[in-house]
Amino acid sequence: MTAARSAVRADLEQVFRAGYPAVVAVAARVLGSRDEAEDVAQEVFLSFARSTVPAAEAPGWLAVAAAHTALNHLRSGRRRAAREEAAADGSRPVPDVAEDVLLRAERSRVRAALARLPRRQAVALVLRHSGLSYADVAAALDLSPGSVGTTVRRAETALREELTRRAPVR
Amino acid sequence: MPLFADSLFADRHPPDGTLRRLLDEPAGVADGDRAHVAGCTTCRSTLATVRADAEAARTALAVGPALSTGVDTAWRRLSASVDAETRRRTPAAAPARGSRWRTAVRSPVVAAFGVVVVLGGAGAAAAADWLEVFRTEEVTAVPVSSTDLVALPDLTAYGELTVVAEPDVREVADAAAAAEATGLEVPQVDALPTGVTGEPSYTVAGQAVAEFTYSADRAAQAAAAAGETLPPPPPGLDGATFRLQAGPGVAAVWSEARGVPALVVGRVTAPTAFSSGVPFETARDHLLSLPGLPDELAAQLATFDGKGTTLPLPVPAELVTSSTADVDGTEATVLATRDGTVTGVVWVEDGVVTAVAGSLGEDEVLAVARELD
Repeated sequence: MTAARSAVRADLEQVFRAGYPAVVAVAARVLGSRDEAEDVAQEVFLSFARSTVPAAEAPGWLAVAAAHTALNHLRSGRRRAAREEAAADGSRPVPDVAEDVLLRAERSRVRAALARLPRRQAVALVLRHSGLSYADVAAALDLSPGSVGTTVRRAETALREELTRRAPVR
Repeated sequence: MPLFADSLFADRHPPDGTLRRLLDEPAGVADGDRAHVAGCTTCRSTLATVRADAEAARTALAVGPALSTGVDTAWRRLSASVDAETRRRTPAAAPARGSRWRTAVRSPVVAAFGVVVVLGGAGAAAAADWLEVFRTEEVTAVPVSSTDLVALPDLTAYGELTVVAEPDVREVADAAAAAEATGLEVPQVDALPTGVTGEPSYTVAGQAVAEFTYSADRAAQAAAAAGETLPPPPPGLDGATFRLQAGPGVAAVWSEARGVPALVVGRVTAPTAFSSGVPFETARDHLLSLPGLPDELAAQLATFDGKGTTLPLPVPAELVTSSTADVDGTEATVLATRDGTVTGVVWVEDGVVTAVAGSLGEDEVLAVARELD
């Protein structure tokens, strides 16, 4: 037995191949960007590789980890974006398609709203909209299936309020 | 399936959460509630709002076209990262002669224990408050209390664990006293992050030593208790003793009015595991193969890879995020609670573990870490 090799989980590739698209999908829902979601997925699987999570529990674990990691990126990304904007001297390339600008503004409002939601609500919302069943979300967040509906509903109300309150005047 | 009792409560308007589920999983909603909603104008109106919000959320969270990278490419990228990590953990060569206690391991978990000695060993010290912050975040698996050595006794099912030396944890007057008590270079923070003010309090700890002797008999009993048969232990393991040693260490704690330490800087001599013959990894791998090994202990042991120069604490990923960062050329482990209230960074350099943590952002914690003298 080689110590170096035994440090890597034998089931890693199998779990990765089965779970990668789902992890990217969850992260992308949070981030609104596939590229960044793929970076998050790498982080998530690296954590999984180091963990002793049983393969049978991997899907739930990966989904929750994807949501959390992506939400964390949202925070740091927002900070980074704010800094970059503050540092910009006006010579930044300006996107020339008006629609693209609007779309991006809309997206960033959604991300900002998500980042402001209580963490549990944000995770429940994202997991539910990523197609996890109420039972899956309940198991992943240690909630009763009954309260998943309540949590998701609260998140959706809060999201609507955030988006309405901060909607740009057109 | 519908319960009889449901019909009794069908007169009541079901809560919003139930209406929300009705949209997605009608079968998950009790028959009585469904019947009520069908015949209730108030509920149908609420349901329309719930549906509109759900639809708006669906649109807001919609994602663009399919994966830009294939799974194969992504897998190659992950493999490369995992390989790189594995290589970093593989030692250049094993020192294999000389004293009876051959240095076999610089174990991350024992290192964690070492930090624990500094940060958590002092029940009376302010450091404990910081640990409390983690605890309120339910990061129970972070080995951040003096009971961790007491937690090791779970190994008593597989042998004998003896605490040879308890760290004498106490508060000292200042950095100079801390340096004298520990022989360590006490880390000095030149520029405190915004919001952190005043002078720190210093807590020191001496060396902690524990010995574990593996017993095949006991392990067989533990296996039998779990209704299993003990896999044959590797040759030489029965009766082999491992010595885990950590400390001395020092922690500087800047407190905040709320009692939550704003900043903790800890340093401890990197803990080591010694073996009298059988390499520590052999014992670990055997222990991990034992039937009935409690999950928590298995998780703890699994991180005893003995190769780490960083400090991967066994933290549950759903509660704490962990990542790596560079601190003056050394790879460091960054831990943060999911809500971002507490962040810590830990690294090992030249046999010394240093940790910086506090109710700060990652940027701030790293800035302090990189500026330490």
